Amino acid sequence: MNNALTVSKLTKTYPDFVLDQVSFSVPSGSIVGLIGENGAGKSTTINAALGLIQKEAGHVSILGSERLDCGVKEEIGVVFDGSNYPEILTPKKLNGVLKRIYRSWDETAYFQLLKQFSLPLDKQIRQFSKGMKMKLAISAAFSHHARLLILDEATSGLDPVIRDDILDMLLDFIQDEDHSILLSSHITSDLEKIADYIVFIHEGHVVFSKPKDELIEQYGIIKCGAAQFDALDKADILAYRKMDCEWQALVADREQMQKKYPKAMVVPASIDEIMLLYVKGEKK
Amino acid sequence: MKGVLLKDLYIAKSNILVTAVSLVVLGFGLSFLLETSALLVLAPVVSTTAVFISITSDAASKWNKNVIAMPVSRGQIIGEKFVFYILLAVLGLMTALIPCVLLGFFSGDITPHSLCLYGSIGISATLLAGGISLPCAYLFDPEKSQIVFMLSFMASTGIIAGIVLLTNLFIPVKENILLAFNIALGISAVWFFVSYQVTARIYQRQDIT
Repeated sequence: MNNALTVSKLTKTYPDFVLDQVSFSVPSGSIVGLIGENGAGKSTTINAALGLIQKEAGHVSILGSERLDCGVKEEIGVVFDGSNYPEILTPKKLNGVLKRIYRSWDETAYFQLLKQFSLPLDKQIRQFSKGMKMKLAISAAFSHHARLLILDEATSGLDPVIRDDILDMLLDFIQDEDHSILLSSHITSDLEKIADYIVFIHEGHVVFSKPKDELIEQYGIIKCGAAQFDALDKADILAYRKMDCEWQALVADREQMQKKYPKAMVVPASIDEIMLLYVKGEKK
Repeated sequence: MKGVLLKDLYIAKSNILVTAVSLVVLGFGLSFLLETSALLVLAPVVSTTAVFISITSDAASKWNKNVIAMPVSRGQIIGEKFVFYILLAVLGLMTALIPCVLLGFFSGDITPHSLCLYGSIGISATLLAGGISLPCAYLFDPEKSQIVFMLSFMASTGIIAGIVLLTNLFIPVKENILLAFNIALGISAVWFFVSYQVTARIYQRQDIT
């Protein structure tokens, strides 16, 4: 399977933060969810991949090319958190601007999406709500026949109804096997719905990059008391956390753990819980 | 580049219209006090303020982050601002020519020589100032770059005076005043081009977040 995006050992150092040798890939025809708490390095990774910031080391290959020239950028649709379009423009004027920037700009698709989202053509963007701005940015990203969509926190701050509409659009987009999506979000429930792979970044490192189904079907949490926790083989525990009345231990294979510790309560772990245990818990 | 230029025209539209009308009104108003063609010194400089309105708007909306992810190179983004700057300066000059030409029919003090002289001074000052302020707009934050923008016009006046005084060492300026200011214009054009190259290089390596 070809990769639409390959990030290899990407490194960027700031005075107070290091993105340290981040590696992952977005296989063609798939949706990859990039998760992590605020400040974990999701946006830095995306910014470095898109050439917005200079990387110190590592390689990025987008749609088979290591050189991010205008031809490659023509095939990428990007949505950032916030519309990032001049607020004085209207969606109609924005069409005039973007059709002169993208060779493959599809005016009909753009206006159709604006209609679908009930966005007014002649209203200035400054008068739009956050949801409307995001819809506009998504309409633009979908209107130039992109093969790779990169969405950085594009669904944050939106109500569940709009988020659901957008997730449906992403699922439609991915029906073409040549299309791929990298979706950065800390709303893990969205990723549970649509992502094929999950890449978890924590403090500038990739903690794991796994198929979502593997995480949902295999990962588990052992919920137990202190005595039972002490009896656990620490090699089985990925991360653990002491709660008010119980201990929670994240394990990679819950069925195996259930067999190994028949008296323990092993429950499925959601992506949110996995993330929380890695971020707030302690490592074995 | 055409799309980005159109975006800047949309942003600066109202400012351009107000400046154009003001220049025409000012031109006719000035005719009672002094030579109208002196407006040609002021017009290109005043007209270029719209570039800084667009740069400030870009910073406020984080447009640069968006446009770099589009099929537009960093060199084109900078090139467009320099082109926009020249376009506005020329537009300002053309607008100021309207009252000059009309009044020229009724008074004898407006001659092709005076138009060329003041036009040359105006464009020289604009190019020198742009060559200072445009790179600074990408190096400093919007507040600081606005201060640099205002200071750059004062600096450009001093630089032109310096160039003319220097020319006087080799050519008597009083007898060759147009030639002296055309030399200043040539130097300003080279300065503006070098400034574009430097700004494009700086921007090429700048982190945009």
